[in-house]
Amino acid sequence: MEDEMQILKSVSMLLDHIRAVEEDTINLSRESLLKLSTYLEKNNMVIDDDVAEALQYQDIISQQLSATIEAIDEVQKSLTVFDHAYANDENIAIVSMEKLQGKLGRALTKAQEKRDAFSGKIHQAADADDEIEFF
Amino acid sequence: MPLVIFVDDSETALASTRMVTSQMPIEVKQYTEAQKALAEIQGGLVPDLIITDLNMPVMNGFEFLTELRKVPALTRTPVLMLTTETKDELKQQGKALGLTGWIVKPFNPAQLKSAITRVLRLPA
Repeated sequence: MEDEMQILKSVSMLLDHIRAVEEDTINLSRESLLKLSTYLEKNNMVIDDDVAEALQYQDIISQQLSATIEAIDEVQKSLTVFDHAYANDENIAIVSMEKLQGKLGRALTKAQEKRDAFSGKIHQAADADDEIEFF
Repeated sequence: MPLVIFVDDSETALASTRMVTSQMPIEVKQYTEAQKALAEIQGGLVPDLIITDLNMPVMNGFEFLTELRKVPALTRTPVLMLTTETKDELKQQGKALGLTGWIVKPFNPAQLKSAITRVLRLPA
């Protein structure tokens, strides 16, 4: 069981790294786009439809990455609970492992749902109807 | 000029809407926090149209809309949701709360301008 615990710790460290990279990506892409939009506005440049759409992708990228960061947080919380359970009583490790598996499955489902919710129209075909819906 | 308020926690999303609407005959005010927009509205600011995001921290678009409808001057002010969400049950929830329309991100600039023109009855 010691080896498995080491693997889980390595997984947690890898998740820390992924979270840090994702946070950097969110911040850099935001800064990049804000600098670009400031330049465009300062020079009174009129943007065409393609550029206007491209400018909106940072928001979607940011939401998608934030959702995966939330999933990482949930997974790490579950790993910590498992680690504590194992440290207190090795005999309950098997039961805890089953619980951990369930929690990881739920974290994945939630993350996949958020991916769909935060995608907007980006997975739709280029000729898909983009009519605004009025009630 | 009619006043249009945009609310979105994403500064880049606000920059996009600001640039797209920059040539329109409207005055634009933008907020990254719905609660700040609400405070100004409760303090007497009367917009002609509100365009808000749905998923925002602290106060989401539905909570914002619910509070807006409690302000006597805004019971009938048009409110459009500009969001990545596409689920029908969310649209129905928005409709029940008094939402005027639903725009999915990334929006088509011509469609957004056309929606603002239509809602505010601006000259085409």
